Amino acid sequence: MRKPDSKIVLLGDMNVGKTSLLQRYMERRFPDTVSTVGGAFYLKQWRSYNISIWDTAGREQFHGLGSMYCRGAAAIILTYDVNHRQSLVELEDRFLGLTDTASKDCLFAIVGNKVDLTEEGALAGQEKEECSSNMDAGDCVSPRAPKQVQLEDAVALYKKILKYKMLDEQDVPAAEQMCFETSAKTGYNVDLLFETLFDLVVPMILQQRAERPSHTVDISSHKSPKRTRSGCCA
Amino acid sequence: MMSIKAFTLVSAIERELLMGDKERVNIECVECCGRDLYVGTNDCFVYHFLLEERPVPAGPATFTATKQLHRHLGLKKPVNELRAASALNRLLVLCDNSISLVNMLNLEPVPSGARIKGAATFALNENPVSGDPFCVEVCIISVKRRTIQMFLVYEDRVQIVKEVSTPEQPLAVAVDGHFLCLALTTQYIIHNYSTGVSQDIFPYCSEERPSIVKRIVRQEFLLAGPGGLGMFATVAGISQRAPVHWSENVIGAAVSFPYVIALDDEFITVHSMLDQQQKQTLPFKEGHILQDFEGRVIVATSKGVYILVPLPLEKQIQDLLASRRVEEALVLAKGARRNIPKEKFQVMYRRILQQAGFIQFAQLQFLEAKELFRSGQLDVRELISLYPFLLPTSSSFTRSHPPLHEYADLNQLTQGDQEKMAKCKRFLMSYLNEVRSTEVANGYKEDIDTALLKLYAEADHDSLLDLLVTENFCLLTDSAAWLEKHKKYFALGLLYHYNNQDAAAVQLWVNIVNGDVQDSTRSDLYEYIVDFLTYCLDEELVWAYADWVLQKSEEVGVQVFTKRPLDEQQKNSFNPDNIISCLKKYPKALVKYLEYLVIDKKLQKEEYHTHLAVLYLEEVLQQRASASSKGTEATETQAKLRRLLQKSDLYRVHFLLERLQGAGLPMESAILHGKLGEHEKALHILVHELQDFAAAEDYCLWCSEGRDPPHRQHLFHTLLAIYLRAGPTTHELAVAAVDLLNRHATEFDAAQVLQMLPDTWSVQLLCPFLMGAMRDSIHARRTMQVALGLARSENLIYTYDKMKLKGSSIRLSDKKLCQICQNPFCEPVFVRYPNGGLVHTHCAASRHTNPSSSSPGTRT
Repeated sequence: MRKPDSKIVLLGDMNVGKTSLLQRYMERRFPDTVSTVGGAFYLKQWRSYNISIWDTAGREQFHGLGSMYCRGAAAIILTYDVNHRQSLVELEDRFLGLTDTASKDCLFAIVGNKVDLTEEGALAGQEKEECSSNMDAGDCVSPRAPKQVQLEDAVALYKKILKYKMLDEQDVPAAEQMCFETSAKTGYNVDLLFETLFDLVVPMILQQRAERPSHTVDISSHKSPKRTRSGCCA
Repeated sequence: MMSIKAFTLVSAIERELLMGDKERVNIECVECCGRDLYVGTNDCFVYHFLLEERPVPAGPATFTATKQLHRHLGLKKPVNELRAASALNRLLVLCDNSISLVNMLNLEPVPSGARIKGAATFALNENPVSGDPFCVEVCIISVKRRTIQMFLVYEDRVQIVKEVSTPEQPLAVAVDGHFLCLALTTQYIIHNYSTGVSQDIFPYCSEERPSIVKRIVRQEFLLAGPGGLGMFATVAGISQRAPVHWSENVIGAAVSFPYVIALDDEFITVHSMLDQQQKQTLPFKEGHILQDFEGRVIVATSKGVYILVPLPLEKQIQDLLASRRVEEALVLAKGARRNIPKEKFQVMYRRILQQAGFIQFAQLQFLEAKELFRSGQLDVRELISLYPFLLPTSSSFTRSHPPLHEYADLNQLTQGDQEKMAKCKRFLMSYLNEVRSTEVANGYKEDIDTALLKLYAEADHDSLLDLLVTENFCLLTDSAAWLEKHKKYFALGLLYHYNNQDAAAVQLWVNIVNGDVQDSTRSDLYEYIVDFLTYCLDEELVWAYADWVLQKSEEVGVQVFTKRPLDEQQKNSFNPDNIISCLKKYPKALVKYLEYLVIDKKLQKEEYHTHLAVLYLEEVLQQRASASSKGTEATETQAKLRRLLQKSDLYRVHFLLERLQGAGLPMESAILHGKLGEHEKALHILVHELQDFAAAEDYCLWCSEGRDPPHRQHLFHTLLAIYLRAGPTTHELAVAAVDLLNRHATEFDAAQVLQMLPDTWSVQLLCPFLMGAMRDSIHARRTMQVALGLARSENLIYTYDKMKLKGSSIRLSDKKLCQICQNPFCEPVFVRYPNGGLVHTHCAASRHTNPSSSSPGTRT
């Protein structure tokens, strides 16, 4: 088995679509999923790195496992359902505590899934992969299913998390960059979400490698340190 | 869920062997070490059996246990646990909270009576840290509350090394190196007893279910998690494998790679660690022990001991493949990589990939099949051999044994479905086309190309021709028969050609053109043959078919000779004389050929020029005879004749003049006269016989082409004279004369002309001529003046230079050195360069002849 270089964990209440998001990204499809038992994970090759992505169970029953899955995580995706305000509340109440075991410089992304079920989401779905920057609710006059959670709420939560972690806003990616609204069903913003995170995680892998003595003995040591750092696109 | 058979349950110890008919005796614990099997009972007995495995072909092995001896430990308590330490030849026996050491063979307690007291349960460290081969590390959960103790156990003594107190009461323990994995009352933790650092893993309620802590590999444990999960955790407290979902009330777990085996009240379940899927369920009631001992998995009820015999991995994979579960088979095979020696694995894995490829192929999943064939490095002939008749008869190929698939051939695979068959054929076409130029094809390019040719021919595919005209390895006899069968005669010709049988190729193509055989591949086959012969190096072949191509079309056929590449013509039988004699029967072709020689190749040989002129002439005459009206063709040939007569200087003029006599071709006669230098006569014909003044003017121009101006002037004057000589009465000639003068003013000597002109002509009439003449004259004068001026100034410059050089004196003394040889001057003779450098005369001379020596400047 290939050893992962880094770990990303999906957290969130049951039924917000964590497994669907992951399957949409990894398998490019949107199958019916059943409630996740315990956890599952995928290994994604991103450039020359192996990144494991853990899908966790949202059910209360498995809540205790969350801490272990988060241990040493480089990034955590906190997922809620834009049509259920409670799912956002749960992130703060139940899930944030689980992330204490994650690595010190762990990244957080806040993802509102199922935008396809809202009026705006239906529009956004037509535009496919367009960016969500101008998706403010203002111009949507008579939505059939009004979105219960706005992007600003997610941004607010993000800032709360920074406070909780006692992180300076200047040291971490901006809230606008780390709050997403997605649809696993249409694929809207899904690639953007994961690939944004991968790109942020890669430098962390490099930093880790630089800090930790290498496991392999380099025979041609005179030129080795530079080579590990010069990833072609990093 | 589909299941596979990964294990078979076989009995190891019948209950009669253990307890006979004593109803109340129960098995409490089991230990297996190599062939030694130990059983502890509730009536304080330890039994020792020798386990013998007998392999059964085509089935799981059977086991027989022979009892060696049994011993009562002298207490009325059950034997709780047994562990063998084979390096010490000791069995560790936990009974009545005390671990005693007994000899593995005779079950006698060690004489020293060494024991560990106060142990509730214990575990051996399978990844010991002490480095002493003559001791084992034992970890016990003490009867003292919340206490763990580490011991080193030697042959006949024990030594405590560490005591750890835990935050809650520990219930189960496993050890790996310095790491203790503990099930506490409410959670699992990892504790490093060397550093004292603890790490929570996850919470767990031990009151609801029994906790399980099981070391599975180095630094990794298997734990019973909430909701019936088997959780994996490393010593770092993280999970690197996804959990397996077994049942809620699991009481024991074991690992036999790649499977996790779990025991509950009714079943033994088998999950794969590779994809977390449940793979097998074995009904097993009242089981209470499940343990793996160095890969051997043993389950026991309170009355009997059983062994879970794993089916060989290959067999499991084959079973999966047989039920078309390709994905799972590949996962299992890949997962087995580290359990099988590399070489063996690669062979096995390649074979599995190939088999998987054929399964996908049979389901017409061609993309997947192709990828599997490629990664499995399939011998392409395995695939080809599925298609009837595609492999050449000479091929030495035999399918691999055991077979990679169950199909005799494509007919069986598609069950005669023509559409499927066609799809399969299209796939093979594209696949072979892809691999034929890769290393996959090495060693059997003949088989591949021949098969491809057959497929193309059968499908009437355009690529057939591409295949044959590029480098290929099609076997001749096999391919020829196939092409003939499918009436691909043109392609067959290409095949012959590729195999250096041009004669056969051409004969075949000729037969197609002649309609003897049918093949409409090329509508322009005749032209193709001509082209082929044109570039054919086989002279005999060309001569053999020269008549045929010429009979078909003289104009096209003659290309065989006219378009031949040049360089080879010198030294073979394709010399003009041979060709001309061959072309005798084909006048049109002959004309074309002579035109090629005279006009294109510009051969300067009188014979050809005359011959061509005569042929033209004959044709013109013939046309005239046959049709009184002048068709366009008549003038075309005539034009050609005239052009030849004008351009060429090589033909026999007198001979042609003779032929022209009385033929009524004045223009041609005029040209011929011109060639003889009889311009007067020629012009006379043009002016008087033909009255074609334009032609007369034209005559002056072409006749003087490339000659000096006086010659041209002479011609124009002659023509003018002829015009004027007729006298003023012939009005037309006068007009012609005026036109001539006005149009070609510069060709005349104006002074001479003015004298010739009748006085009556007005200046108006000759205005353009006069103006042209004047302009010409003035221009000439001015040009001369410019030239004169330039010459003068040049002369002046030279005079100036001369003056300058003579102006100053040069002093030559003993101190001056020659710039070339650096010696002093001994004579008053020297050479001076314009830059002032002085050198010996002989130095200057030698320098002049030897330009490589250093130059002080150019000499004037």
